[in-house]
Amino acid sequence: MALLTVENLGIGYQTAKGLLKAVDGVNFTLEPGHSLGLVGESGCGKTTIGMALMGLLPPNGRITEGRIVLDGLEISAMSEDELRKVRWNKVSMIFQAAMNALNPVKRISAQMVEAIQVHRPEVSDEAALTRVEGLFNLVGLPLERLYDFPHQYSGGMKQRAIIAMALALNPKLVIADEPTTALDVIVQDQILKETKELQRQFNIGIIFISHDISIVADVCHQIGVMYAGQLVESGPAEEVFFNSKHPYTQALVSSFPTLAGPKTKLAPIPGEPPNLTGTIPGCRFCDRCPKDTASCKLDHPQWQEVGPGHHVLCDHC
Amino acid sequence: MQQATIQDLKAKRRALWRQRFMENWRVFLRNPLGRIGISLLIMFGLMAACSYIPPMIDPMYHPMTGVDPKVVSSVGPSWQHWLGTDFMGRDIFSQLLAGARVAFMVGVSAAFMSVVLGTAVGMTAGYMGRFTDTALMRLADMIMVLPTLLVVLMLAALFGKLSIWMIVLMIALFRWPGVSRIIRAQTLSLKQRPFIDAARVSGASHLRIIFRHIMPNVLPLAFLYMTFRVTSAIVIEAGLAFLGFGDPGTVSWGMMLQWVWKTGHMFQAPYWLLPPGICISLITLSFYMLGRAMDEVLDPRLRDETQAG
Amino acid sequence: MRKYVLKRLVQVMVILFCILTILFVLFRLAPGDPVTRMVDPEMTPEESQHLIEQLGLDKPIWTQYLIYLKNCSTGEFGYSIHYGEPVARVIWDKLPNTILLFTTAVLLSAMVGISWGKIAAWRKGKATDLGLTIAALVTHTLFLPWLALLLVWIFAYQLNWFPITGMISDDVWLDPEAGFFTKAGDVLYHMVLPLTTLFLIHFGSYLLVMRSSMLDTLKEDYIVLARAKGLTERDIRNKHAAPNAWLPVVTSVGLSLAFSINGGALTETVFSWPGIGRELVFAVSHNDYPLAQASFLLISTVVLMSNVVVDVLYAFLDPRIRY
Repeated sequence: MALLTVENLGIGYQTAKGLLKAVDGVNFTLEPGHSLGLVGESGCGKTTIGMALMGLLPPNGRITEGRIVLDGLEISAMSEDELRKVRWNKVSMIFQAAMNALNPVKRISAQMVEAIQVHRPEVSDEAALTRVEGLFNLVGLPLERLYDFPHQYSGGMKQRAIIAMALALNPKLVIADEPTTALDVIVQDQILKETKELQRQFNIGIIFISHDISIVADVCHQIGVMYAGQLVESGPAEEVFFNSKHPYTQALVSSFPTLAGPKTKLAPIPGEPPNLTGTIPGCRFCDRCPKDTASCKLDHPQWQEVGPGHHVLCDHC
Repeated sequence: MQQATIQDLKAKRRALWRQRFMENWRVFLRNPLGRIGISLLIMFGLMAACSYIPPMIDPMYHPMTGVDPKVVSSVGPSWQHWLGTDFMGRDIFSQLLAGARVAFMVGVSAAFMSVVLGTAVGMTAGYMGRFTDTALMRLADMIMVLPTLLVVLMLAALFGKLSIWMIVLMIALFRWPGVSRIIRAQTLSLKQRPFIDAARVSGASHLRIIFRHIMPNVLPLAFLYMTFRVTSAIVIEAGLAFLGFGDPGTVSWGMMLQWVWKTGHMFQAPYWLLPPGICISLITLSFYMLGRAMDEVLDPRLRDETQAG
Repeated sequence: MRKYVLKRLVQVMVILFCILTILFVLFRLAPGDPVTRMVDPEMTPEESQHLIEQLGLDKPIWTQYLIYLKNCSTGEFGYSIHYGEPVARVIWDKLPNTILLFTTAVLLSAMVGISWGKIAAWRKGKATDLGLTIAALVTHTLFLPWLALLLVWIFAYQLNWFPITGMISDDVWLDPEAGFFTKAGDVLYHMVLPLTTLFLIHFGSYLLVMRSSMLDTLKEDYIVLARAKGLTERDIRNKHAAPNAWLPVVTSVGLSLAFSINGGALTETVFSWPGIGRELVFAVSHNDYPLAQASFLLISTVVLMSNVVVDVLYAFLDPRIRY
């Protein structure tokens, strides 16, 4: 059975200008111990999906259609109290360290112990601390920094602490939202390697959210490319990266430099994504698409299978 | 041709300004605090404007010197005296109107002076940096911790009763540090921006940079702080007058409260005790609300954002 | 930390020195003769000669300044013209009364303001928030002496619940039987109205600062993380948001101390609370210059020291600040 099933998911934000459909008709599944990378520009809805998986949409956001089923539990239909028990226990999140994700006035150890004791009140302080020490060893943080405050950590150390915290309760699914953005390249590389290793070791499912398709291709089994609230291409990582079909994916691939891949010219993608408050009749990418035809603007594109498990939302691929 | 383009640009800039102003004005009016504040202030403005009328009707309505010959002690409201009279038969309503005039005068002029001073000091400190900055900010720190009311009281003790303009000047002299700190911070961050460097490289003098490039960017903030300074100036003047150190030649609301308190009428004459207090509190409140509403206009972070994601 | 406190204390000394100097200059600049200002005209010639020598008023101005500094540092402020007693003795008795009323008022209003501000932010946009915000705005801008008179008029004069003025009732304090708690209770009974006045004026500003600081804090990423960890909303508010939101409030308490002492002096005056603020107003009204000067210095010292306390508290609450 799949660890995570997302069916026809739609998420809207109530704004002053009407309902903004941040996510529209997204489908995917994730097997236990596998990883899926969601890629796209900022505002494409990838973070919104991550938040929806945790049941953490902001007050003006809500799931308008579809459902999310995690490990047999229907997240999209749960009450706040039920969700609270699922959070961190079954699904946890790795935040971006550059963000202020650690509380500046609390010690790192206290923040981690708290995560454990919220869900396992019976665990004593000593036992929780022992667990935290174990996690510190796991992510390679020195034990003498256990009682530090966040501002005493470097960016890389904060990121490790956040990863350790996410693993505290052995969750089945971890959502990593831009976990290495704003870290320097060497630290970024180390952390990605370690994350991959930890995932294999503990058989965790990971949703990896990033704007950088090369990182995602390196780390994940599957890739889903998102554009303007929709998935536009999905499939095995290698397939999508080296054999991308959708013009947007192709543009994404060529906008990042790679060491391993074929040597190509870096190309910025001209134009901007459409406004998501109204209804969009045709393909959402057609304004920026090099292959755009008259019919693209009018008809909804259909999913095409272009390889084994490799699908594209485009009529001309 | 060139002339026309410049004209064109100027017109465009004006249009842009007007558009931005109207947009801010709409944001301001959407805020209930701003609406209430403005309405109350208009009411007080009318009161101040009307303060000239009663003495013209009859000299006995002069707020300071007019005494109703038929009245020898404080009496309650009547047709002749809408709010009654004070202990020597002066009309309370006309005093109240005159008080509005004094409050506006004291509040706005003291606030204006302290904001000008604070902006000048803040910009100088932020722009010059180093020793000038340290010296000015230490001075600001020192003045900031002094209780203004008591300082002015002390000065009144030494130099005898202060005239209303001296009081205004004193308030201005002791209330600038808060403004200057904020303006300094703003100047420091502006100094980092490329356009200041560009101006410097293209040979602009320090004065020109300060006045042409930094000042327009800090003025809205200074203007905002002015509304908060108005409230503190009014309250300090009223407090001073209440303690008996106001300008003996003017009728301010604080003065009226001092009279009702000192003549022992506070338990007998609610018609005399209530109006000046309500007026001071309300005018403070309305300037304060104005300030908070402006704060929202100037700082979009404070606006209710329904946008997310 | 100790080094920081020491540094702040040295700063206080420097500021006090500046204030002393400015006062000295002002006293010499003011119209009139310093001798008649500082010396009680009713003293005998010998007494006044002794006092003039003690204050150095017969010496050149620089010597006067040095003697003045020495006298101030040892607490010799001359004789109060009105009381005919050493100024130090007059104000020294009043200091605890001011500190009692002032600190109770600041602490009480800060505590209530902070906790209600927290609630208002949490219920943003709901009736509770609106009610608290309006109450804060309105009480915060009330004119303090007027509010004091109003409270006296309603609760002391009309309802007769509390004494009109003063700090103690003579009969209680003259009664040899009365124990400590009876006396303390009596002071507390007298303190209700002045305290209410100061509380009503001050809690609003703390409430508004706490509310907006809390709203800022709630947008932080660590709040999202706390929610993701599965914490209850209550724990998020009390354990994660509030400890961060306090920091700007503590700063604002520090900045408003000078404003609070203004209000303290007005309150003491209206309620005849025997503190230094009232003493200063009294001294100024009766041209008792030695007393006015000393009370002013003492009040400034109280404000400066409270600022140090606030700064130390801030450093204690924010781990990012280490001196």
